[in-house]
Amino acid sequence: MSATGGDGRTERLLEVKDLTVGFPTRDGTVLGVDGLTLNVGSHERLGVVGESGSGKSVMGLAILGMVLPPGRIMGGSVRWKGENVLDEAVANRVRGREIAMIFQDPMVSLNPLKTVGAQLRELLQRRVGLEGSAIKQRSLELLDMVGIANPGDRLKSYAFELSGGMRQRVMIATALACDPTLLIADEPTTGLDVTIQDQILTLLHNLSTELGVSVLMITHDLGVVAQFCDRVQVMYAGRIVERAPIAQMFADPQHPYSGGLLQSVPRVDQAAAELAGIPGEPLDRAQFPPGCAFEPRCVEAHDTCRVAPPPLVKIAERRWAACYNRPGEASK
Amino acid sequence: MLRWLAKRIIAAAIVVFVVTSLVFVVTHIFTDPATVSLPLEASQEDRASRRAALGLDRPLSVQYWDFVSGLVVGDLGESFFQTQPASKLVFERLPATLRLVAGATVVTVLMAAPMGMLAAWWERRFADHAVLGFSMASISAPPFWIGYLVIIVFAVQLGWVPTFGSSGFKSFILPSFTIGLASAGRLAQMTRRGIVEELRKPYAVTAMSRGFSRSYTIVHHTFRNVASGFVTMTGWEVTRMFTGYTVVIEVVFSWPGVGRLAVEAIEDRDLILVQAAVVVLATMVVLTNLLVDIARRLIDPRVDLA
Repeated sequence: MSATGGDGRTERLLEVKDLTVGFPTRDGTVLGVDGLTLNVGSHERLGVVGESGSGKSVMGLAILGMVLPPGRIMGGSVRWKGENVLDEAVANRVRGREIAMIFQDPMVSLNPLKTVGAQLRELLQRRVGLEGSAIKQRSLELLDMVGIANPGDRLKSYAFELSGGMRQRVMIATALACDPTLLIADEPTTGLDVTIQDQILTLLHNLSTELGVSVLMITHDLGVVAQFCDRVQVMYAGRIVERAPIAQMFADPQHPYSGGLLQSVPRVDQAAAELAGIPGEPLDRAQFPPGCAFEPRCVEAHDTCRVAPPPLVKIAERRWAACYNRPGEASK
Repeated sequence: MLRWLAKRIIAAAIVVFVVTSLVFVVTHIFTDPATVSLPLEASQEDRASRRAALGLDRPLSVQYWDFVSGLVVGDLGESFFQTQPASKLVFERLPATLRLVAGATVVTVLMAAPMGMLAAWWERRFADHAVLGFSMASISAPPFWIGYLVIIVFAVQLGWVPTFGSSGFKSFILPSFTIGLASAGRLAQMTRRGIVEELRKPYAVTAMSRGFSRSYTIVHHTFRNVASGFVTMTGWEVTRMFTGYTVVIEVVFSWPGVGRLAVEAIEDRDLILVQAAVVVLATMVVLTNLLVDIARRLIDPRVDLA
């Protein structure tokens, strides 16, 4: 893996700052994403990991300026190469062409009533501007690129005629159709067989290296992060609680939640021991504590934690954490 | 496809047979055509002679066999009052009803599809509420009332079209519109709900995340996916037209169709003619469903071929 990161050696592509997405409910507005900050550089593979309901998927779409109603973006900024993506005109240009997204469930992410060829043609014609035979040629090239055998036959297939792995490959082909610079992958391997998961991850990894595409990998699976990413951010209750290069995160997690996540992963390289979990339930998002969202489940919690949410601070070179027990460099 | 079609047609024929048999049961077992056709004070002898004249004194199984074998060759018995074959009376009126239903269906589809798409496009905005308001009004207003209303406004006050009868295209506008209106309201709401639901589905979100606009996604992605439901619902509306709306509206507009014939036959207590009208209308309903099945098969490749 190429050594990258937000250390100035690469160009910054995506800059998300204080992004907040709210969903109105009877009990008031619930924040799906709460003050999210992240950056993705060129040629970088960033992982965002969190449990279900942590706001990962909402985040992925919100980066493209999309929120399913009745939710809406309540604050913050999303900049792509300096341009404001939350501006609809910029978003229309950036979506698909610069930032493409692939989704959790390839079973339902392809239009069930259009052939693979029709879905590629539509993109190549309307978003890239290809014409005539160039469309077919590029379609075949794309399917070949994602490792689909007999691409000529597959152009005529409907999604329901393909296996799960094939569908995800087609999804990736449609995502790459417009030569994007960043790929947002929202749980791309969830719901696939383990062997297929591995193939898809390897494919994504190779493509991102060959084509120089950055990837924002959204997942609940630490294994995927370990295998795929250069850097990882841990998300809890719509907030980033820790940010670190991949090796350091796995060797020495700083936030108590990250530590808990790592301990709850079974390992084959260590003697069998009781698998540790994180005590308590994921938060009911309508009942936010005023302080740190993880405080009710945290073994290290103390009074300060109940007052206000801790800010995300730099605790070491390329390491950030949002925890009162991990004071920042400045206060050390 | 041909095998599938043959199966559907056989299934439809079976349904027609069952439905017509039910009609026979209702006319001959739950009621007595002879008694119904006579005045209340008719004597027992009058009834017996009427029963004999109509062949109603024979065993039920024989009568049923007569009825079924008649059906096969298009013989639906003889009208008491008009002393003509019931099938002739009904088939004379059928084209007028078919024209009316066809016109109403065109009105329904041309109103419902664009309204549903517009409402979904502007979800929770003014156009959406306007379409909802229109739909609720058109669903709540009884068709006969709308019928009288449009007659008063367009035929009597403005004099644009004739008030009744079926003479040329002009006389056809108001009754088609009246029937189409009620169906269009329901269908527009169904279309809107279908598209809004589809727009939340991953494939539509994916399309929009690739930079396709909401309107493009509605027209080119989601509408095709609601089209199957749209066709099914349109079929139901056509069914309602055959079994309900045409009856009422043909009376309101003095339209010489099967619906009005049925009403006249009921007034005359001409049960054989009622039976013939019901059999023909029920057959139209079954044919409509057959057409819907074929259309859905053409729209959605996943519809089971079995």
